[in-house]
Amino acid sequence: MKDQMEDIKNARDNWQETVVDKRVKRFNLQKSPTRFFTPKDIESHSFLEKVGFPGEYPFTAGNNPFDFWRAYAEDAAKMGYRPDWGGAGGVGKYGGFGTAEDYRDYLKRMHAMNRKGGPNIAFDLATQCGYDSDNEMASGEIGRVGVAIDSLGDFKTIYEPYTGDLEIDKVPSNFTINAPAAVIIAMYAVMAESRGIPLTNLKGTPQNDILKEFIARGTYIYPPKASLRLFRDTCEFCTRKMPKFNINSIGGYHMREAGASREQDLAFSMSNGIAYLQAGIDAGLGIDEFAPQFTFNAFGGSMQIYHEIAFQRAARRMWARIVKEQFGAKNKRSMLIRQPITAHIGCISTTRQRTINNLPRAVIGGIAAGMSGGIPGAFPPFDEPLGLGHSQEAVQLQLDATRIMIYEAGVADVNDPWAGSYFMENLTDEIEANALAEMDKIKKMGGAIHAIESGYMARAIAKSAYEHQKRIESQEDLVVGVNCFNTENEIDVTINRVVESTYDPQLMETAEKRQIEKLAALKRGRDNTTVLSLLNTLRDHASDESVNLMSDICECVKNDVTLQEICDVLRDVFGVHMGSDHA
Amino acid sequence: MDQSKKIRVLIAKPGLDGHERGARVVAYGLRDAGFEVIYTGLRQTPDQICSAAIQEDVNVIGLSILSGAHLSLTKKVLDGLKAQDADDIMVLVGGVIPDDDMNKLKEMGVAAVFTAGTSVSKIASFIKENV
Repeated sequence: MKDQMEDIKNARDNWQETVVDKRVKRFNLQKSPTRFFTPKDIESHSFLEKVGFPGEYPFTAGNNPFDFWRAYAEDAAKMGYRPDWGGAGGVGKYGGFGTAEDYRDYLKRMHAMNRKGGPNIAFDLATQCGYDSDNEMASGEIGRVGVAIDSLGDFKTIYEPYTGDLEIDKVPSNFTINAPAAVIIAMYAVMAESRGIPLTNLKGTPQNDILKEFIARGTYIYPPKASLRLFRDTCEFCTRKMPKFNINSIGGYHMREAGASREQDLAFSMSNGIAYLQAGIDAGLGIDEFAPQFTFNAFGGSMQIYHEIAFQRAARRMWARIVKEQFGAKNKRSMLIRQPITAHIGCISTTRQRTINNLPRAVIGGIAAGMSGGIPGAFPPFDEPLGLGHSQEAVQLQLDATRIMIYEAGVADVNDPWAGSYFMENLTDEIEANALAEMDKIKKMGGAIHAIESGYMARAIAKSAYEHQKRIESQEDLVVGVNCFNTENEIDVTINRVVESTYDPQLMETAEKRQIEKLAALKRGRDNTTVLSLLNTLRDHASDESVNLMSDICECVKNDVTLQEICDVLRDVFGVHMGSDHA
Repeated sequence: MDQSKKIRVLIAKPGLDGHERGARVVAYGLRDAGFEVIYTGLRQTPDQICSAAIQEDVNVIGLSILSGAHLSLTKKVLDGLKAQDADDIMVLVGGVIPDDDMNKLKEMGVAAVFTAGTSVSKIASFIKENV
């Protein structure tokens, strides 16, 4: 073996000199624009230790020998069923707008078109930031990027079409909610109780990943430590009361959208993940009691197909090792990065210029996904950069592109097709090593919470974003139609999107007014003495860090206390996060 | 204007939108291009933005909005400036802005709209030529 490596090294050196260097010189280049890898590049590689089998530790080759969707893919094609590939099993398309009534009616229309996935709710920014619709801060934002939820009544309205075959224990729900996740989870649990559905039957996923909000997405309310306490409370509540419900959906993708490098994405989200695991342990739970209900949200996101495949492999291996070696998990499921899609290009890779080019871009992401253990989803629809809401045409083309990858190209027919590639194993190791080095830096700072409080993570990402921009402006990075191939020699291809707008613009315009009227009526009609007394109890309990606040929040919700009223009490006790240091 | 004095720019995030990448990148880029740049951080009301612009005596306000609330938020900033006789401050808008709304923003009095994919050097040239 050693002799063989020696032979390879000699042969490679010889090739470099007599073939590559010669050609480089002939074309008058500084160095070769391409690379080639040999066994020498993964000399100490151990297949069992670093790759293993799909569905076995360290899960580099995939979480499963084949996923749920793959088992039924052929049937789905023949039955004329219209699965939303790319959504988590059974969950419908991410959406939400206007008032709860507007969104409910939209869902009914979707159901009539046989799109019956569980509600995958986008909340408006007021709701995400813990404000009611009548708050001055939220003026102009009500019902824009999602649906407005002020009270349990709003929440229940959304669910009116979900009965019978679509009862809430039959379809999973998704909530893209972070800072007020405890309130939304409470609304869901209270609604289930009022329908007589046992909480133990409920399935779904709240995003509940507050730490990345401080770094990337910006919808935080309280300071990091208090936010983690609320996470702990939801983690314990979900584990003990709703064991089939996922606890969170940890995102690296948002950081990448905000400008994080691949290594920052990996290191920061793993460090956040460790903080969440520790919060579960601090709640007195065993690692294998709650870690199996952790999920992730589409780690990664760039056009670099090879790197994104390696990234997924490295991420699975890193997380499995953390959960097993650092936290002592025994259950395989605890060690998995369970996520609805794996690799993808990220919305940040889409361009407004010659928008239809985003379709081939998304296909590249889909190929990377299919080759890294996920559904080969062509995400996002090509009209992503044109504004909120995708056209029906763009969604149709997205679904078809995904189907073409699955059925015609067979992209997902082989597990980890790159396993053993000298290049891919080398790249996976390199990405892992860089991420581990960055994680070590964070560990030395005292962990994720400290690296967030000091502004380190947010600053590092902002700097990476600016470096990226400079590379584009200097044409070091090339983006077709943006900083190259954008002269008058090109044709500016546009696609007619002759579809009714997904969301009725008239309703969007009037949502704020209607929502405020509804809120005022609610406040007039409820038992305000009870409201005050419940809020006082919540305040007392919030001051005691050892208390789990979920039962208090459930009581509040049940008695029509509004989302902001709950959040305001917690603001009083916990304080508010003032934003990251931007220097 | 007096070329010896640096042009002052306020980059602001009105409303609750937390997407900061564009705002930060433009702030860094304009600073490197020789402007005095102040970044407000997240969640500023239109009133806060107008006050900051007047206090800091800026020549330009760059509003970054990706939440779809650009028409109402921008109008409030423009009205606020007018109410305080500060409508000589140039207002630029960046973010996810549909084509139809670009014209509406310009009719309102926005000097230019820069959507994703715009180079910072283009924004810098626009400011230098028009302030």
